[in-house]
Amino acid sequence: MHAVELLGFGPAGWGAALLRAAATTVLVALLGFAAGAVFGGLAAWARIAGSAPLRWLADGYTTLLRGIPDLLVIYLFYFGGSAALTALAQAFGATGFVGVPALATGALALGLVSGAYQAEVYRGAYLAVHRGQMEAARAVGMSTPLMFRRVVAPLVLRYGVPGLGNVWQLVLKESALVSVTGLVEILRQSQIAAGSTREPFPFYLAAAALYLAVTTVSTYGFGRLELRTLRGVRRG
Amino acid sequence: MDFAFLGSTWLTLLSGLPLTLKLASGAVSCGFVLALAVAAMRVSGSRLLSGPAQAFVFAFRGTPLLVQVFLIYYGLGQFRPFLQEWGLWPFFRDAYWCALLALSLNTAAYSGEIIRGAIGSVPAGQIEAARACGMGRLTAARRIIGPIALRQALPAYSNEIISMVKATSLASIITLMEVTFIAQKLISQTFRAVEIFVCAGSIYLLVNVAITRAVWALEWWLSPHLRARPREPAALEAAHA
Amino acid sequence: MPEPVLSAGAIRKRFGHLEVLKGISLDAGAGEVISILGASGSGKSTFLRCLNLLEVPDDGRIALGGEAIAFKQGRRGPEPADRRQVQRLRQRIAMVFQSFNLWSHMTVLQNVIEAPVHVQKRPRAECVAEAEALLAKVGIADKRDHYPAHLSGGQQQRAAIARALAQKPEVMLFDEPTSALDPELVGEVLRVMRQLADEGRTMLVVTHEMGFARDVSSRVVFLDGGRVDCSGPPAEMFGAPPTERFGRFVQTHR
Repeated sequence: MHAVELLGFGPAGWGAALLRAAATTVLVALLGFAAGAVFGGLAAWARIAGSAPLRWLADGYTTLLRGIPDLLVIYLFYFGGSAALTALAQAFGATGFVGVPALATGALALGLVSGAYQAEVYRGAYLAVHRGQMEAARAVGMSTPLMFRRVVAPLVLRYGVPGLGNVWQLVLKESALVSVTGLVEILRQSQIAAGSTREPFPFYLAAAALYLAVTTVSTYGFGRLELRTLRGVRRG
Repeated sequence: MDFAFLGSTWLTLLSGLPLTLKLASGAVSCGFVLALAVAAMRVSGSRLLSGPAQAFVFAFRGTPLLVQVFLIYYGLGQFRPFLQEWGLWPFFRDAYWCALLALSLNTAAYSGEIIRGAIGSVPAGQIEAARACGMGRLTAARRIIGPIALRQALPAYSNEIISMVKATSLASIITLMEVTFIAQKLISQTFRAVEIFVCAGSIYLLVNVAITRAVWALEWWLSPHLRARPREPAALEAAHA
Repeated sequence: MPEPVLSAGAIRKRFGHLEVLKGISLDAGAGEVISILGASGSGKSTFLRCLNLLEVPDDGRIALGGEAIAFKQGRRGPEPADRRQVQRLRQRIAMVFQSFNLWSHMTVLQNVIEAPVHVQKRPRAECVAEAEALLAKVGIADKRDHYPAHLSGGQQQRAAIARALAQKPEVMLFDEPTSALDPELVGEVLRVMRQLADEGRTMLVVTHEMGFARDVSSRVVFLDGGRVDCSGPPAEMFGAPPTERFGRFVQTHR
């Protein structure tokens, strides 16, 4: 069969399925990135302001997750989660294997990994915030939570934009690993199509093109965002 | 905690370490040579050279490594008759070589940009001084730009090496029996995901800590000019006084 | 008139729409010390950088010891016809930069012997001996194994002068050698330069140091708006400024 037909939107084409899968890729990456923001934010806070054991914990978390293959983390969540759920189900009298939802597992694993990188971004951005800005906030009588919400967080996000852009790209690309759990994102869909048509090359090429499209749009988006935030920072 | 299980798991996983290290070191070495070429093409100033290099970097940095692995291992398999005709089939049939190729190309794209950035950071004045005393391009690259850029690139490059060690785990998906492959097999046999994760993770972590330390040492050794001023011997100071 | 060591004729250079040099000619005879003065933007640094082809002039002639640099028409304007010729000539013209430009990854001694050993391919031992003598001459013999970052600005510039001398140049170009220095360090560099002038070296010095121009140089050239406004021996130039512009320039620079 011709590649155009294979990748098209006709009855024999996989175009629609691939586009749906691309939406899943973006979804799992977004969820992973959001989860990573929570993990990363907490870890950054612990490293900046936490007590010694908290700092130690956060240091361990970022070092560990940046030194261990992401695929292992995904296996841990997928198999570990399944084992835990199965055990739980058995305790309630059920029998057999209970699988965890692939989307949630993938997002959680991506979140844990990207959180380690996001923590570094937030911490670096916080350190870049000028002391004087916080002193000014205190001087007008802001409480710590108010100062954090009105002054620190907005500035950290602005300084962090380039770094967060890199982490987002990382999450997008790492999301391909979630295919091993059976989540039908771009790569898994391409595998399915390649297996069913015995035409792996056009499908993996299409997968590469889809990822390239998403990462390129993201690069552009973050570039625009960076320009805007920079303008804001300069205006001060 | 079941220490006997942890111990035996750790030893089983360790049997995959040689392949992990072989893949990582192979990819980093081949990738470095390719990266030098990519960086040289990008700073050449010739559009004919920098264009293809830029496209290469764009394609390999914009797509997941696993897609690259699949494209090379499964995708190119579709062209078996053609590859056989050219005598390339034994190479592309072998998962090991395909993984090595994908990892090398991938790290070449990232490292090429690191090297390009490092070259760009060499102060223009120092390059000018090299030209002013009559150095040719090659001599200036070898004596001035190279050493300064190398020192500059090291921190980012050590991160790239660690990325490669982690990336070798993807080879498990195309059936190579390195550490992650064995870990995955053990998990699906025993369902003791946490213990096995801890064992496998500790192996990777140890390797990466060793690499980090080695690069630190190299960095220290390569940058006497950035360290604190050497203490002058007291005798010398007295002689000058 | 004897053959000039360095000869530049009708040098023109433009950057985009801005014509920085509008035809500057200058011959330097053996042993001459020429101070090139001018307000910032007058093109004096650009002119100096054209002489050793760090900037490629758009038009004009440059010759060193009678050997003219050959140009050809490239895609983006004229370019040297033979890169090797340029490299050869640069070995005979040494340059001292405003910002020193010492190679940061080499010690002072390594900086000084770099060009003799790796460009001129002379025996290393001989170069080291010469370098030590040169470092002693500029007064930083004890700093030979220090890295540039560990030296003061004045010491760095003296090291850079030693590096330039190690090339055994026929002409030395100085591009505002004291402009990046703290005022109290200017003297030590000027002292070394005065010593070189006394030895009869051929020097072209772009500078803002009126004292040096008046007392040390054999000729003063005043550039204005990309042209030579006036030139002559310092006594005449400073005694009775030949042009109104130069008169005003001397007024405003002490």
